Amino acid sequence: MSFLARIFLILLPVLIFIFYGKVLLIDDKKSNDYFEPKEFPVFQLNNFDGIPTNLDIISGVKLLNVWASWCITCLVEHPFLSKLAESQIEIIGLNYKDDKTKALDWLKRHGNPYTSLIYDPRGDLAFDLGVTGAPETFLIVDQKIVGHIQGELNEDKWKSTFLPIIQNSQKELN
Amino acid sequence: MFLIALTSSAELIYQFEDQQQEDRFYRLINETRCPKCTSGSIASSNAPVSRDLKQKIYELILAGTSDEEIKNYISERFGASSSYKPAVKGMNYFLWFGPFIFLSLIILIFYFNKRV
Repeated sequence: MSFLARIFLILLPVLIFIFYGKVLLIDDKKSNDYFEPKEFPVFQLNNFDGIPTNLDIISGVKLLNVWASWCITCLVEHPFLSKLAESQIEIIGLNYKDDKTKALDWLKRHGNPYTSLIYDPRGDLAFDLGVTGAPETFLIVDQKIVGHIQGELNEDKWKSTFLPIIQNSQKELN
Repeated sequence: MFLIALTSSAELIYQFEDQQQEDRFYRLINETRCPKCTSGSIASSNAPVSRDLKQKIYELILAGTSDEEIKNYISERFGASSSYKPAVKGMNYFLWFGPFIFLSLIILIFYFNKRV
């Protein structure tokens, strides 16, 4: 009894360490790769021409990129977004807390990788999406949000986070 | 001095119908994690998203929303880790009572070890 108890006593800290290590590692995985799919929030916003956008634009596989003309990191990820756009990935631009003329100016100067645009000057839709700041990118498959990247979207994050989800969803379809 | 300036400006912005609403507001903003910060509540943060969250909590309180509904509203958008005081349910039992379970285990083992 004493011997067993002693062994258990020695092992206990190790067990606790493994247990919490495991929990923390799972949690870490969750925040990076795993994303609980959720419905796209209902919204009533216009594009830059004042025409209301609706849920039709988020059918199929789409990216939704939160950007603004005041956002410096958006400029950093802009070349990669343009590259994605060239390879036929459809990206919706959610213009976040921005000025319309400045935003249009920005698109004219740097190029427009977006297939459609949503103008969200007060950040209403962004709040419902849980946006903490620009840039952020959401992956949408059939009107459901299935992926979320905070900060700059680049080749690494695209390959490690979004691409596997897209491939999985296409496997499920077939 | 800076703190005094901050609190007085906050009181100017948020006007409540009664003291109870105000107490609820300050409790909620102290229990809500700033999503943009490494650590800290939205009460201590002036990040744009924290300002939005405070404004939203203020509006929801004035609209008569309960604390639970406000917490759910925020965690639906910003995730379960948005609250510094997670609800005592489901997996969270482990979070709340895990340390006590381990502590009592250790005490038990020490006790039996001593007796034998």
